[in-house]
Amino acid sequence: MVPEEMMPILSVLVFPGLGFLFTLALVSEWVDRKIVARLQNRVGPLHTGPGGILQPLADLLKLLSKEDIVPAAADPVMFATIPILTLALAVTPLFLIPIASPSALVGFEGDLVFILFVMTLIALTLFLGAWASTNRFSTLGGLRVALQMLGYEIPLTLAFIGPAIAANSLSVSQIVHAQAGGLGYLVTQPLGFAVLVVCLLAELHMVPFDVPEAETEIVAGWLVEFSGKKLALLRLAKDFELVLAAALMTALYLGGPTGPGTLPPVVYFVVKLLPCVLILSNLRALFARFRIDQVLQGAWKYLTPLAILQVVFIELAPVVIP
Amino acid sequence: MAFTPIPVGPQHPALDLESVNFTFHVDGEKVVAVRPRLGYMHRGIEKLAEGRTYHQNLYLVERVCGICSQAHTICYAQAVEELLEVEVPDRALYIRTIMAELERIQNHYLWLGVTAHQMGFETLFMYTWRDREIVLKMVEEVTGKRVNYDINYLGGVRRDLTPEAIHEMRKGLDQLAERTKYYTRVCKNERTVLKRTVDVGRLSPKDAEALCAVGPTLRASGVKRDIRADDPYAAYEETPFTVITYEGCDVASRLWVRCDEIQESIRIIRHALDTLPGGEISVRVPRAVPAGEAISRVEAPRGENLHYVRADGSENPARLKIRAPTLANLLPLCTMFVDMNIADIPLIIAGIDPCIACAERMTFIDPRKTAQWSWSSEELRRRSVQWYRKR
Amino acid sequence: MTMERELLTNVAKTPATLRYPAEKTPPVEGMRARVTWRIEECIGCRLCAQACPAEAIAVGGTRAAAEITYRLDRCLFCGECVDVCPTRAIETTTEYELAFTTPDEMIITFTRAKTRTTREATGSNETGVPQPDRDA
Repeated sequence: MVPEEMMPILSVLVFPGLGFLFTLALVSEWVDRKIVARLQNRVGPLHTGPGGILQPLADLLKLLSKEDIVPAAADPVMFATIPILTLALAVTPLFLIPIASPSALVGFEGDLVFILFVMTLIALTLFLGAWASTNRFSTLGGLRVALQMLGYEIPLTLAFIGPAIAANSLSVSQIVHAQAGGLGYLVTQPLGFAVLVVCLLAELHMVPFDVPEAETEIVAGWLVEFSGKKLALLRLAKDFELVLAAALMTALYLGGPTGPGTLPPVVYFVVKLLPCVLILSNLRALFARFRIDQVLQGAWKYLTPLAILQVVFIELAPVVIP
Repeated sequence: MAFTPIPVGPQHPALDLESVNFTFHVDGEKVVAVRPRLGYMHRGIEKLAEGRTYHQNLYLVERVCGICSQAHTICYAQAVEELLEVEVPDRALYIRTIMAELERIQNHYLWLGVTAHQMGFETLFMYTWRDREIVLKMVEEVTGKRVNYDINYLGGVRRDLTPEAIHEMRKGLDQLAERTKYYTRVCKNERTVLKRTVDVGRLSPKDAEALCAVGPTLRASGVKRDIRADDPYAAYEETPFTVITYEGCDVASRLWVRCDEIQESIRIIRHALDTLPGGEISVRVPRAVPAGEAISRVEAPRGENLHYVRADGSENPARLKIRAPTLANLLPLCTMFVDMNIADIPLIIAGIDPCIACAERMTFIDPRKTAQWSWSSEELRRRSVQWYRKR
Repeated sequence: MTMERELLTNVAKTPATLRYPAEKTPPVEGMRARVTWRIEECIGCRLCAQACPAEAIAVGGTRAAAEITYRLDRCLFCGECVDVCPTRAIETTTEYELAFTTPDEMIITFTRAKTRTTREATGSNETGVPQPDRDA
C-alpha cells in the first residue's frame, strides 16, 4: 500500500489538500451559479457536463488559453506576481480548517489570527494589483477595495473572536473540537453568525458589497486589466475564497466535520458547507449594490456595534448564567 | 489640483443602451464637472428621408429608435396627415393609441430592468425582462413583429385588431397589472434600492423647466406636463387618464413615476379596448403632398417627441427634422451630476432613460449669417480625417 | 429583503429560459419574417422594387423572363412588396432563423429557369425557394 512517509505529502497534495480543494472550489462556483440562476428563474450552466457541472472548469481552461495583455505602463513583475500571490494566499488558510477530520492538516494555537492576517493580506494584494494596473478604473477599484476592508475588518475579527472565547482557544481545530457533540455555536451566538455572513459577503466582493468590482460603474474595477492566464488564476482565487468563507462559517459556527453517526468526517463537512454556500448565493441575488460610503457607514454604525454586543454577551454569559 | 478625468463611453457598461461619451472630472469619488459628447450614433436619417417617398419614410422613421419606434411613426404620420388634410378614421386612432401605450409599457419594463442592472440588482433585471415578454407577445399577435412594428400607414393603420388578439391582450394586461404592482412595491420598499436612488441626481423644478426637461424626468420634479393631456392626439381626448407626478426630484421619483405610468397605460388600453369603435382602419392618401410645413408632437415613453416636416408638392419631403426627448433631457442630465459620487453616474444616466439613437441629428446653424447648411458624407469624412490628423 | 419570497418561489418554478434550439417559440400566425416569390406569377412590373424602402429588391427582364434578386441583408421585413404586388406573387413566410455565414448566402435569386443563390443551390423545396445548407 502507500508507505507511511508518503501520507503527509498525499494529504497536502490530494486529499484533503490541493486536489480536493480544487474540486471543491469549482463545485462551489457551480452551486453558486446554479442557485443564483434558479432564484432568477433562469437555468444557469447547462451544457458542459451533466447539469453544467464542468462549466467552471471549462471557463478556467478557456481563460488559460487566451491572450495575456500587459498594459504598457504597468510594472511587469508586480503585474505578473499579483495573481499568483492572490491564489496562494487564498489557498493557504484552507489548510488550517478541519476538513477530513476534527483536526486540521496544520494546526497551532493562534491559527485563527493567522487566517485573519492572510485575509487582510489578500485585500492588500488586490489593492496592489489595482495600483500596478495603471488604469483609472482599476485605481478607483483598488481604492474601494481598501476602503471596504477598513469597513469589514473589525466586525470580521469580532465575529471570529466570539467562538474563540466560547471555546477558550484561538485554534480553529480546538474550536471545532469544542463544538463536537452539540449543535454548534450557531445556536448560542446567532448574532455573531449573522455578522460573519455579512462580513464574508463584503470580503468576497459579492452583492450588495461588490463595490470594488462594480461592473456598471468602473467596468471590472480592480481587475479590469488582467486577462488570460492572470485572470484565470484570479478567478480561481475567487472560487477558493468562496470555499474559505463557507468553510469558516462551517468550522466556527456549525461544528465543522463532526456530526452524529459514523460517516467519514468529510461528508459532514460537505453537508454543512453546501448550505453556507446557499446562504451566500441567496443573499447575492437578493439585493442591489451599495455605494462605498454607504458600506462604510453601515459597517461602522451597525455591524461593529452588533459584533461588540455579541462578544460582550459571550463574555458575560458564563458569569450571568451559571 | 487637477481633477482626474474619467471617460464614460462610448463603450462602457453604464451605457447599456447606446454609445455616447461623457468625460467626468472627479475629485476622489465626487463628480466635479461633466462634458458630454454626442455623435457616435449619427446615421444621417434626416438626409436619407429626403431621398425617399413619404410612405417609404414611415419605415425609415420607425427605425430611428428600437424601442420608441411607434412614437416616431405616429408623430411623423400625424405631421404628414396634417399637410395632406386627411381625416384618420376613429378606429385607426384607437389602434394607434393602443399600440403606443403597449410600447410605453414595454419601454418602461425594459428601463426598469436596465436601471436595476445599473444598481447591481441582477434579479430584478431578470424578472422585469422576463415579464416584458408578455407585452412583446401581445404586440407580435397584432403586428407580426416584436420591435419596429411597421403598423402605421399615412392615413390610418395597417392591421386590424382581431377578436382573438383582443382576448389575448386582455389576459396579458391582467398579468402585467399584477406584476407591475409587485415591482412597484419592490421599488418603494426595498431598502437597497431606496438607498441607491433617493436623493441621487437632484433636479429642482426650476432647473427642470429652465433647461427644458421633458417626460418622466420632468414629471418626477413635480411639473405636471404631458403632451397626451396638454395637446391630445390620436384617441387621448376620449380616454381619461391621470398625469403622474412625484415631488422627489431624484432618481427614485423617476423610478416611481414610470412604475405608475405602466399602470396608467394598462388602464388606457383597457378603456380603449372597451370603447373601440368600428369602421375602416385607413384611408387612401395621395402620393404627392401639397407644399407646406407641419409640426407634430407626441408623448413618447421618454418625453416629448417633435417632428417637423416641410413639403414642396413632390413625392419626397423637402425637410424632416426630428427632435427626440433625450436631446432635450441632456442638458438637465449634466446638471444632475454635480456633487454626486461616481457610483451614482450610471443610475443618473439611466434615470433619464437615454436613447442616444434618437438624439443624434446634426444641422449647422451659423447665427451670425442666419445661414443653414448640412454636410454630405464625403465632406464629413474628409473633415474627420483632417481633425484626427491634427490631434 | 422584500424579494425573498419571490426568489424562493422561483426556485420551484420551471425556468423561463427556452433551451434553444431544442425548444423554440412557435411563430405566430401573421408573423412578418422573410418574404418569398412564386416566380411563375411574376410579370416583371417592378412595383416591388419601387416600393421597397431599403432597395432590397432588384428586378431584371420582363414577363416570362423576369428575374428577382432579393437581398436578405437589406430587407426590413416590412411587407410593402407583399402589399403592392398586383399578381400576389410575393408572400410572407414565418422563417425567422436567418443567420448566414457568408454575404453571398443572403442574396437570393428567383428565375423561372431555376432558382439559385449566387452560390449554386444545395437543394430546393417545392416552392422553389433555395434553402442554405444549415448543416454545413
